[in-house]
Amino acid sequence: MSELKLIDENGRRSDNRGIDDLRQIKITVGVVKNADGSAFIEFGKNKIIVAVYGPREVHPKHMALPDRCVLRCRYHMSPFSTDTRKNPAPSRREVEISKVIRESLEPSLILSDYPRAVIDVFVEVLQADGGSRCAGIAAASVALADAGINMRDLVSACAAGRLGDKIVLDINDLEDKEGDADMPVAYLSNMEQITLLQLDGKLSSSQFSECLNKAIDGCKLVYEIQKEALMKKYFGNETELKEEI
Amino acid sequence: MQEIKKRYVIPGDKIVEGDYKPLMNVVRSGNYLISTRVGIAEAGKDGVKVIPLSGVYIPRVNDLVIGKVIDRSSLSWDVDINSCFFAHLPAQDVFGRDFSPARDDMGRQLSIGDLIIARIVSFDRTRDPMLTVQDKDLGKIPYGEFIKISPTRVPRLIGKRGSMIQTIEQATQTRVIIGQNGIVVVTGRDVDGLSLAVKAIKMVEEESHTSNLTQKVKTLLNVHDPIEEDQSKNTTVSYNGGSAVSSTPEQAANAQQQQQQQQQHPQQQPEPQSPASAVSSTPEQAANAQQQQQQQQQHPQQQPEPQSPASAVSSTPEQAANAQQQQPQPEPQNPSTSAIRNNNEKSENNLSDSLNNIDQKEQKQELENEDA
Repeated sequence: MSELKLIDENGRRSDNRGIDDLRQIKITVGVVKNADGSAFIEFGKNKIIVAVYGPREVHPKHMALPDRCVLRCRYHMSPFSTDTRKNPAPSRREVEISKVIRESLEPSLILSDYPRAVIDVFVEVLQADGGSRCAGIAAASVALADAGINMRDLVSACAAGRLGDKIVLDINDLEDKEGDADMPVAYLSNMEQITLLQLDGKLSSSQFSECLNKAIDGCKLVYEIQKEALMKKYFGNETELKEEI
Repeated sequence: MQEIKKRYVIPGDKIVEGDYKPLMNVVRSGNYLISTRVGIAEAGKDGVKVIPLSGVYIPRVNDLVIGKVIDRSSLSWDVDINSCFFAHLPAQDVFGRDFSPARDDMGRQLSIGDLIIARIVSFDRTRDPMLTVQDKDLGKIPYGEFIKISPTRVPRLIGKRGSMIQTIEQATQTRVIIGQNGIVVVTGRDVDGLSLAVKAIKMVEEESHTSNLTQKVKTLLNVHDPIEEDQSKNTTVSYNGGSAVSSTPEQAANAQQQQQQQQQHPQQQPEPQSPASAVSSTPEQAANAQQQQQQQQQHPQQQPEPQSPASAVSSTPEQAANAQQQQPQPEPQNPSTSAIRNNNEKSENNLSDSLNNIDQKEQKQELENEDA
């Protein structure tokens, strides 16, 4: 049923993408003036703004850790971000996604450089269309780099999934709801390490491998866009440093 | 070891492979050195480092910082130094060792909201930074235009050998106090000059990564000087991570060049003293001050800003006399104005001997030219 609905006979998906196509991605860095670092990402129809504050003093003080920095993440969907109004109070899903975003970002950060401090990451979803956690992670990583936090690598994120017997890249909202499996992956492209791996649905062993590899390939594409966005903010159109003699 | 060209990096970028020493903002991952910040990677004899283009201020011992008093307890003030840690200024540092909370009124010396320039005396991972205002010209900043810039832009604002800040100060007839923590205070009497200086500082912050910035600032400030243009070519990439204080022998040489320029272009109205020469510690510098007096006499149309008392800090009696002559109506007391520049004093003293001969020759030539 889902195959007929979500992939046509020409192999095109509901939004006319091929099975290995990402949605259109655009990242803008430094959009929140008062934040230490920020980024705005458009991941298909997802529109997410991320602001990073810190490292700064921890309040309440008892939360401070003597040997490293505390990372706090808040994923929040605006009431107008979905088709029907969403209650602005944090839901179970938002609390959980806040946690997984934090855990996916933590391995990339060198938190021991900032003892007794805190870094706050606010992920605000303005418009949601499936895959918002992946988009949020990608934007948050760019915002952290913009804030000048010491990082080992940028975290890129992308989902892959199964529609019938086809493994497809970058699941949208419809495919998330009607599809057979959804696997969000966050990945450190240079270090080649996975920081987030979730799976909602059923996959065979071979499908799992294919899905994971596809998601990692997607993360690598997202990484290039993240890199380009950062380079554009800090170095403009210059790709190489020109030294005048 | 292979030569590494300076290049732009973002976190995670592999800078170089091999047995290099990781210095600033670089970590080792396997056989590679990778960047941890957005910035410019460069390798020297010591190792590989990345000069960051963003980030908050992390305190370091001996840094000069400008902070705002935000709270006080019975024994110390808490100072916001634009960092993730609040700094503490002990009351004993201000009142002396016989400070008594019962006898002395802390509010009389510093109130909440006051701006101070102070030096960090101690800081480590386990304790908040401790400040002192005991050194010369540290203490309360009574007035000025407050600007906050990114701490990573401070070396760029100062420029190589203080070239950028000297340009701004001279063109706008203002004095600029720069804290390593990214807080800048501009003082001056001319309102237009103040606003222009603020504009120039903000421009430096926004376009700090671009090349030929000194020239852009000069264009903004309407400074056109072929000699300085030549100098600016050497200051295109000045993210040297250096301190807010320019303390090299070239600074003294710069000051002399500027004096020459003043003589060659009397229509310009520069400040009476460049930052490098503001603190005079050698007989030659005293002679410089005399030369400036002569210039003023020769060009009465020039109306330079009177020196603030802090800028007239002189280590010789002659200098003090000169400064007094130059300053019939001094500005209100500003003990902190030359604090950053005074940091040069020690290094200038050390270097002054080697520069003496050169200075004397050049000054003789200048005097001969004037006579001619």
